[in-house]
Amino acid sequence: MNFPTEATLRRIIAFVAALGVGVATYITIVESGGGAPACLAGGGGCETVANSDYSHIAGVNVAIFGIVGYVLLLASAFFANDAARFGGFAVALGGFGFSIYLTYLEIFTIEAICQWCVASAVLMTILFLLNATRLIGYAGTTSAAVPDEG
Amino acid sequence: MSNKREREKRREERLQQEAKVDGGERRTRLLQFGAGAVFLVIVAVVVLIVANSGSESGGDASNLEGVSEIDSMVAGIPQNGMVLGDPKAKVELAEYGDLQCPVCKQFSEELLPPVIERQVKNGEAKIVFHNYTIIGPQSSTAGAALLAAGEQGRGWNYLELFYRNQGKENSEYADDEFLTAVAKAAGVKDIARWDQERKSKKLTQKVEATTQRAQTTYGFTGTPSFTIKGPNTNGVELLGTLSTTEEFESAIEAAG
Repeated sequence: MNFPTEATLRRIIAFVAALGVGVATYITIVESGGGAPACLAGGGGCETVANSDYSHIAGVNVAIFGIVGYVLLLASAFFANDAARFGGFAVALGGFGFSIYLTYLEIFTIEAICQWCVASAVLMTILFLLNATRLIGYAGTTSAAVPDEG
Repeated sequence: MSNKREREKRREERLQQEAKVDGGERRTRLLQFGAGAVFLVIVAVVVLIVANSGSESGGDASNLEGVSEIDSMVAGIPQNGMVLGDPKAKVELAEYGDLQCPVCKQFSEELLPPVIERQVKNGEAKIVFHNYTIIGPQSSTAGAALLAAGEQGRGWNYLELFYRNQGKENSEYADDEFLTAVAKAAGVKDIARWDQERKSKKLTQKVEATTQRAQTTYGFTGTPSFTIKGPNTNGVELLGTLSTTEEFESAIEAAG
């Protein structure tokens, strides 16, 4: 199998990050527009997760952190230099680690699964793999050295 | 002429070579940073998970918290059944809640204390708690235990103390041992009577009746939900779930 060109990787990263922005924005809007939090009879997974103590860090909805992360990843896909490669990798790594922690909380502490949070965790995992591939494959190269198809 | 061209060629090759070496060094450095970052994130995630698994709190009958804090919050305020406040207060704010509900706990700890301090203590309003059991089977037994404490004038101490020590939803923490420990700490004097009354038909049926009222008559879909009644309301008015202390205060002012 041929190693994907950096241009291909960048295009896929941009696409997945854009999906991530959409998912994180959706979670933020649904949570903030849902009125005052309440315990619902037989509450759905997302309500339980959104109502839990873990849905906010220092008063900020964790989905906001998600939006910021995905936007940074999207931005990193527009540049073909080492700063973008390493920056993208670092953000995706942080997001991936945070996703592992949040998924752990959902399964073992909150004991409820929200499908939108799972979707975000999957997207962040894909972005981590893509950015790691990009860094390993193209760190130290100049954009001229890599044939840019885009 | 050819010499000059050769020199230029050699110079170009040398520059390319240097760029390659530079790029190689940069690459090594970046990959080292990357590996370091991976290591740091692994450590951070492990630390977070370990710290979190150790911070499981609440639902512990042998270590109840907040007894004196609650005593001072409700000190000097009349309690009659589950009514907190002057029986002659013009405005009645009613809460429909579930003892196992974490959002009810949050309301009780953050939103209601200023209302109690500013509008209940001065006789402007009274607050009554009704069970609306939606979380699980232990919500009903805990609800009846609460009403039984109310029969001895310690209902609000019991309610607040339960919330302060609430465990995880449906984790079976609200057993007889926990309910009894809360009753004792809440200052219920006759524990034998409390134990008998909490199992009585009168109180268990009351828990069911208020749940039915919240669900069917008022159509509330979650807890805590509130109603208000006063000289300026049209009978009982539904407030639903409010999100700030200010909303409670203005609702009480408008009703009075």
